[in-house]
Amino acid sequence: MGDEDDIPMLVGEDDEDETIPELVKVEDKPRVPLTILTGYLGAGKTTLLNYILKEQHNKKIAVILNEFGEGSSMEKSLSIGHEGDLFEEWLELRNGCLCCSVKDKGVKAIENLMRKRGKFDYILLETTGLADPGPIASIFWMDRQLGSDLYLDGIITVLDAKYAEKVGRSRVLLAPTSSTFMLLKDSRNLNEKKPEGVVNEAVKQVALADLLIINKTDLVDETQLKAVTDLVSTINGSAHMVYTQRCRIDLNKLLDLHAYDKFDNDLFERSLSTRFFDGASHLDQRVQTVTVEVEGSMSPSSMDYFIDVLLWDRSLTNSAGEPVNIYRMKGIVSMIAESQRFMLQVVQQLYELEPIGYWEIDSPRTCKFVLIGENLEQEKIDDLLRTCVTLSSEFS
Amino acid sequence: STSTKMSANGVAAHCCETPGCNAEAKLQCPTCIKLNIQGSFFCSQNCFKGYWESHKLRHKKPRSPWFSEQLDQYLQYFPGYAYFKRAVTQFKNISGISDSSTPYNPWPYYAFSGSLRPYPQTTKKEVPPSIGRPDYADDPNGFPHSEQKVRGAANIKCLSDEEKEGMRVACKLAREVLDEGVKVADIGVATDEIDRVVHEAAIERECYPSPLNYHGFPKSCCTSVNEVICHGIPDMRPLQNGDICNIDVTVYHRNFHGDLNETLFIGEVSSIAKNLVKTTWECLQKSIEIVKPGVKYREVGSLIQKHAHSQGFSVVRSYCGHGIHQLFHTAPSVPHYAKNKAVGVMKPGHTFTIEPMISEGTWKDEQWPDNWTAVTADGKLSAQFEETLLVTDTGVEVLTQRRDRNGQPYFMD
Repeated sequence: MGDEDDIPMLVGEDDEDETIPELVKVEDKPRVPLTILTGYLGAGKTTLLNYILKEQHNKKIAVILNEFGEGSSMEKSLSIGHEGDLFEEWLELRNGCLCCSVKDKGVKAIENLMRKRGKFDYILLETTGLADPGPIASIFWMDRQLGSDLYLDGIITVLDAKYAEKVGRSRVLLAPTSSTFMLLKDSRNLNEKKPEGVVNEAVKQVALADLLIINKTDLVDETQLKAVTDLVSTINGSAHMVYTQRCRIDLNKLLDLHAYDKFDNDLFERSLSTRFFDGASHLDQRVQTVTVEVEGSMSPSSMDYFIDVLLWDRSLTNSAGEPVNIYRMKGIVSMIAESQRFMLQVVQQLYELEPIGYWEIDSPRTCKFVLIGENLEQEKIDDLLRTCVTLSSEFS
Repeated sequence: STSTKMSANGVAAHCCETPGCNAEAKLQCPTCIKLNIQGSFFCSQNCFKGYWESHKLRHKKPRSPWFSEQLDQYLQYFPGYAYFKRAVTQFKNISGISDSSTPYNPWPYYAFSGSLRPYPQTTKKEVPPSIGRPDYADDPNGFPHSEQKVRGAANIKCLSDEEKEGMRVACKLAREVLDEGVKVADIGVATDEIDRVVHEAAIERECYPSPLNYHGFPKSCCTSVNEVICHGIPDMRPLQNGDICNIDVTVYHRNFHGDLNETLFIGEVSSIAKNLVKTTWECLQKSIEIVKPGVKYREVGSLIQKHAHSQGFSVVRSYCGHGIHQLFHTAPSVPHYAKNKAVGVMKPGHTFTIEPMISEGTWKDEQWPDNWTAVTADGKLSAQFEETLLVTDTGVEVLTQRRDRNGQPYFMD
């Protein structure tokens, strides 16, 4: 095998003694936010979409109905609202080798369309009523390196306030001792799905929401509304919640969620406290929100271990021996010998650990997480975290 | 403004490239911009200075003495130049003035990024029914139903001893089939001829050539010439002196797939082609070296990108390595670029490929209207190497390893 001499380097005149140039400011091309809109049929998604398109008529908004299913369809329709008009466009889903392709064909189709027709201001992806938003989020939460024109802004779930009664396939029991509702898993009817046992899609949609719109509040009384709120907060204590009638909502609340590239500290602090409310102990939810906060810092290998146990190996169980299944997780982590804070974002089995701001000098180093998933127990997660964290008085 | 708001609470759009520095990067190296080298983001002039000795290697590429190439590099600086070039190419294409002397022009309005053109293809070949075939072989669209069933499930299979043996055999045969294909690759030989040889060599060994009808792919192997990154379809174009050509072979033998590829020199190639191919091969070798239980799949990309960048080349990001056994492509997904979200940790019994595609210029790729051929967006060269690997208790076994000539790649023969 030859060495460097084999390949002569032809050197141009400015190569000899290249002086260090002055760095220039990066010119970033703006990316287009994509929001996943989910919720049961009849909850009000279509009403919401129409409302958005009407109110935001000076923006160019793309609405894609139904997620990209499997199969070999070649085209998918998409509606674009602009200047009060709504017109159809077609997404070309090019087949060919999807196998070793990193980007989903749906993503490529949207990017191609934007290349031809110009960028949208934002994209709304409306799923079918029974969709699991997890895999869809995974498709659109792409590595930054791919330089995609779009990014995942967040997941919005629309709920019918008369929720428990309207849900089609789940079975609902009114707990005799309290006014709260319990949603049971529907394992007997839907056993074609995941091996861990089935969780109702509605629960998953709530669990993965970054924004929960509780709609049709005019159709329920205060007790019912509180009941739904409690139920939903137990499942997902880490989402913004908005109450609406006919999906009339302040559009600023809908957009720029930045749920996957920003850490909302206020929301986090709120989720730490809102878990504790009357009647919480009566709820026996398979899917719950758990928050943990521990003083100290993690090392890269202890973080690896933490991720592996929780997300990939799934070796953590609850007291009944049932495996923990994380749907969504967010956190702020202190890493040993790093002055930066690190944000952890997780959906399903994907995770990203990114630096985000700096620790204040002399502020205590902590690691805090909010987890949403199946079979979570506060103490178990806390114990796991404590084995991953080391206390140290000073870092460089 | 939103950008400042983002930096307080949000993830930075770019991260400083200095190894070990994680700071938000809002500055870019102007020389890289001029040379059309992507990336090169830094947090501060000081940090940049500290890394300068290593970073400047990205600027130092072997420059051709040809005036047109230097002029081309200089003109990149002017906005609209890329469009101008494409318009000229398109005009040449439509008016019949072409670099190649073929009248075959299946996509008259397509603006090719480079000078390679498609040639007519021969008819689809058959495989004797006595040879075991994967499920997609007989599907009208070539749809791999068995792969689709487990799609999305990220648990990676650990093979039993019996399955490992099955893989060893399939991979050994895949290497033999590639050997046969390499033997005929030469100036004046059409890539279709290579495909014919590969097809027959597979059948001789009781193998089904995996690419055939996979998602409708028309041929038995992929031949990727010059600016083609991967998935080139063998056709009647004769290889020319100076071409680099990748032959990608996958065979299916007794229920297991074996996948490998190598880039070859055809005749006398340019020094930049030599460096590109050598660097790409080294990227693969270096990444194989770290394979062992406990290593995260996402680490492979860091290593490859580091080496590729050190030579001034870029890493193609759209295609990745993949799990392989009874299924052609399955979990895990193994990207070749740094900072990726690949799921999973290597465990004994995992079988997968690493197949870095390294490009002379931009990392960006485009696809021809045939929905298969992937080319570099700037028409510059791209090389690739691939092996199928098995994670052992202590390290790795290269299942598709070349057994003769000390395992060296063909371009070094």
